[in-house]
Amino acid sequence: MLTYAARRLIDLLVILFGVSVLVFLMIRLIPGDAVQILLGANTEVTPEQIATLRHTLGLDQPVLVQYGGWLSGILRGNLGQSVWTGAPIGEEIMARLPVTLELTVIPLLLASALAIPLGILTASWRNSGVERALRFLTIAGITTPAFWLGTLFIYVAFLIAPRWATIGYVPFSTDPLGHLSRMVLPVIALALPLLAGLIRILRSSLLEVLGQDFIRTARSKGLSERRVLYRHALRNAMVPLLTVLGIQAGYLFGGAIVVEQVFAIPGFGRLIVGAINERNYALVQGSILVVTAGFVLINFLVDLLYAAVDPRVEYR
Amino acid sequence: MSAAALPNARPAQPRARGLLARLLCDPLGRLGLIMTVLILLMAVFAGTLAPVDPFKQDILGRLGGPSARHLLGTDQFGRDTLSRILYGYRASLGVAVGAVTIALLIGGTLGILAAYLGGWFDRVVMRVMDVLLAFPVILLAIGIVAVLGPGPANTALAIGVVYIPTFARLLRAPALVLKASEYVSAAQALGASDGRVIFRHILPNIVAVLLIQTSLALSTAILVEASLSFLGLGTRPPTPSLGLMLSEARTFLTLQPWPAVFSGLAILIASLGFNLLGDSLRDVLDPRLRGQE
Amino acid sequence: MKSRLIALAIPMLVATAGAQQVERGGTLQLAVDQSPVGLDPHVATAFSTFVVTGQIYESLLEVDANLKIRPLLASKYTRSDDGLTYTFTLRPGVKFHNGDALSAGDVVYSMNRVKDPKTASPLASRLSSVTSVKASGPLQVTFTLSKPYAPFLSEVATIDIVDQKYVEGGGNLQRAAIGTGPFVFKQWIPDTALVLDKNPAYWAKGQPYLDGLKFNIVPDASTRQIGLQGGTYQFLPNIDASVAATLKTAPGVQLLRSQDLAYSLLGMNVSRKPFDDPRVREALNYAINRPEIVQGVYFGDAVPGGPIPPALKTYATPVSNFPCYTYSPAKAKDLLRQAGYPNGVDFSILTFSTIKTVSDAAQVLQAELAPAGFRAKIDIQEFGNFVQNWRNSNFDAFVSLNGGSVDPDGQLYRTVVSGGSTNVFKYKDPAVDALLEQGRSTTSNGSRVRTYAQLQKTLACRGPAAFLAYGALYSATRSEVQGFTPNPTRSLAALKTTWIKR
Repeated sequence: MLTYAARRLIDLLVILFGVSVLVFLMIRLIPGDAVQILLGANTEVTPEQIATLRHTLGLDQPVLVQYGGWLSGILRGNLGQSVWTGAPIGEEIMARLPVTLELTVIPLLLASALAIPLGILTASWRNSGVERALRFLTIAGITTPAFWLGTLFIYVAFLIAPRWATIGYVPFSTDPLGHLSRMVLPVIALALPLLAGLIRILRSSLLEVLGQDFIRTARSKGLSERRVLYRHALRNAMVPLLTVLGIQAGYLFGGAIVVEQVFAIPGFGRLIVGAINERNYALVQGSILVVTAGFVLINFLVDLLYAAVDPRVEYR
Repeated sequence: MSAAALPNARPAQPRARGLLARLLCDPLGRLGLIMTVLILLMAVFAGTLAPVDPFKQDILGRLGGPSARHLLGTDQFGRDTLSRILYGYRASLGVAVGAVTIALLIGGTLGILAAYLGGWFDRVVMRVMDVLLAFPVILLAIGIVAVLGPGPANTALAIGVVYIPTFARLLRAPALVLKASEYVSAAQALGASDGRVIFRHILPNIVAVLLIQTSLALSTAILVEASLSFLGLGTRPPTPSLGLMLSEARTFLTLQPWPAVFSGLAILIASLGFNLLGDSLRDVLDPRLRGQE
Repeated sequence: MKSRLIALAIPMLVATAGAQQVERGGTLQLAVDQSPVGLDPHVATAFSTFVVTGQIYESLLEVDANLKIRPLLASKYTRSDDGLTYTFTLRPGVKFHNGDALSAGDVVYSMNRVKDPKTASPLASRLSSVTSVKASGPLQVTFTLSKPYAPFLSEVATIDIVDQKYVEGGGNLQRAAIGTGPFVFKQWIPDTALVLDKNPAYWAKGQPYLDGLKFNIVPDASTRQIGLQGGTYQFLPNIDASVAATLKTAPGVQLLRSQDLAYSLLGMNVSRKPFDDPRVREALNYAINRPEIVQGVYFGDAVPGGPIPPALKTYATPVSNFPCYTYSPAKAKDLLRQAGYPNGVDFSILTFSTIKTVSDAAQVLQAELAPAGFRAKIDIQEFGNFVQNWRNSNFDAFVSLNGGSVDPDGQLYRTVVSGGSTNVFKYKDPAVDALLEQGRSTTSNGSRVRTYAQLQKTLACRGPAAFLAYGALYSATRSEVQGFTPNPTRSLAALKTTWIKR
């Protein structure tokens, strides 16, 4: 187990190295460079000014030197500075981290917490009509565009309760109620598709597990149906659920990008999209690296958990 | 990922007629198939079906609700919403099909080759796939579109790249299983060339898994395209793509909600159709895979 | 001192005009689409920055809602008879937000900071005619010019005065802001809001009326709109025509209107076929149905305009004097035939989508140009990309929105003079160059009007740009918001006399 974890950890570092190279090159391949955008459109700028600025920002150095500088900075825990404001990237990222964590972790927990009872409940309904309706509903839940759902939520909330503060963001520490009132809709908009997906998986894997030999054995030993369900079936059905949770974290982040845009929430999605538009190189690099690191880490933990939950998994 | 999570590819080859019949037995499969076929027909025959030119502007008749002349109303330039949705299906499906084709061809080839050749090639390819998979889907697509610039072909390419690892992994796994299985060894023993082994024996066995994943990927590709257009990165006006129509219509939501409602529904129908089809295919082809993404 | 009284009297008149008692206090919730990209008023180019810094910093002069130049930090100014020396007298007793007193040295420092190539200020060229700036007294600054420069005062009005002591002491103006304005920078919460507090020591007694401003950053247009209708926000500054159209009938919302100086245009690359031929450019003007653009893009709330904004009443030639502004596809085809394009022309239009008015204009243009034989392909690019191609003249044609100027020289010079910094059209016409030079060095009003009339005549139909329309500029507010007068320059300076009725 320990060697397995160590090997996966090395994998993880290699992946992050690959990500850093990819991100570094990608942002530099985007046409239109930081300096031109920094200096704006309808202005009078001489080529000398452009050259001066490029030099100040270190953009006139060879790409390899720039990459080396960035990487050695990261290893020393310094992600660099914003091209625009000179603000440390670490600071910019830390400002968004709690918001993004809230927007991913809460929907994830909420969806999982609801999916387990609902999955069990629906697994006990074997009627084909119910089964079909459920399948239809869950699939419809997965395929509804998040930004459409967000817009509808804001609009409907405005129609039924115009005074309800749904837009924007206030930190929990300054105004707990205001914070919750504003986070409810985005969290639901993100949790709903997730919940639909999780119920579907849990239900089908429960049904599958319930049909297997060891459950039949358990039943024949005279264990109560409840005990069978919770002690044996659920534990086994958790395996695919966990795998999917790891994958869903990525989808969730994607959904968060648009939901942040719609609800005006200051998370990672807006940070990155804004930074790409401004060609704020260091900021794009730093924030994408942090997001992917988090994402890869989640999958790493899922793998470990997975090994812990399912005794059949062997550590390769 | 460890072996337990891999799709369980069976050497048995599903017969086409049986497949269709079994799909039609499932009411949701029927629904999915009908929706998908209708959407494909609308996309292909948009030119014949559209009542009006989707680019024809009529400023004075803008933002009209459903009427006899414009069944689904008009947008901010007075363009016919129904015609634009039909053409929108063409644009959105074009992007989605393009993306999945790219992912399938590149990802699939890489995956099969990786499995079949093994060794350093396998390790390098799969490591690169891991790097790509480390990115959240939309984020990677945003980055690639930013590099390539907007437009349908580039959007398709961006979404395609995002799905390459999915298909590479998807096809590598059964290819590995098959490579190890007896009859491939037998074929090799009989002197069949490598290419022949791949095409005659490995590919057909993968069709089932592919069909499922393709329809599911089409479903999500439609959503990703819509999200990119919403962020102002995907398809560009005046091309009527569904995501773009929806984000344009949102501006006028309080004034005239119909264009936003219809284009939103159009996206939902397309994405839902492909997803239902994929889901039913999975039930029919391999019940053990049910519910897995 | 006299001018100070006048400057003070104007806002008081506006405030009392409605015969209502001003109510003080409260924080005004504004919603804007983007974060500022840094707060340094000498470096910024983004409108999102000026909206905020405009409340914090002040210039020597200001441009009021009627486009008149008025004293602000300078209580008066004099110009020498040869037009080469300007002397400004500063208002006494003005303090920066950190307590430093405003002195002539700060003005000199600010001007030199803008001129310094190391600052890379986009405003630098506005001072290109200035050879020296000197403190001629503790509260007196003298500018010396190399040649008479008519738009000098309107250019000076765009340069904010910063605190020399603060900046030289290592203050980072991109992240903090210390000015003399009615509001004090308090906090920048990334991607959420900029919070400004009332400046209790503001030099205009009794102002501002509000306790503070909060610029909420809300990227999505329909969210901003619903937020205003629901009362989450009270003020949406300078909104798109389409948003104004949807808010027109919304209960509890008022639209404040003024004429925009910014104009939509279709620019042509005159170094490429087919627009190298003036006849093709004239044909294009005939092929544009301007009233339809006014309807389709501006929802009826715009006026077709020529090279100089109709808001500059003294200078603008009425469009009825431009024959090519009469929509005529037949005439367009005829001119195209003369230019050797009997089958019409194919070209692509470069544009971007962050301003809805712009991408809408491109779409309407594409549809209406086709019948006259101009087959356009629209190439909508991401803004950064657009800027790069635009700057490098890498286009056949482009559609954009150009910020206007209160002086005809600012409006035209750098855009059409040979080698001008924003002459991305690569337009070259010695006669036009001569007129432009004449226009900026003449200080007599009558002859300036004649010069610009001639320029407009040359540029309107065969110039490098087809001027489309000058839109109405709207700010949308809750109906309890009082005392705000919209300014054609898009300045929100009137927020200091804005108040909330309870």
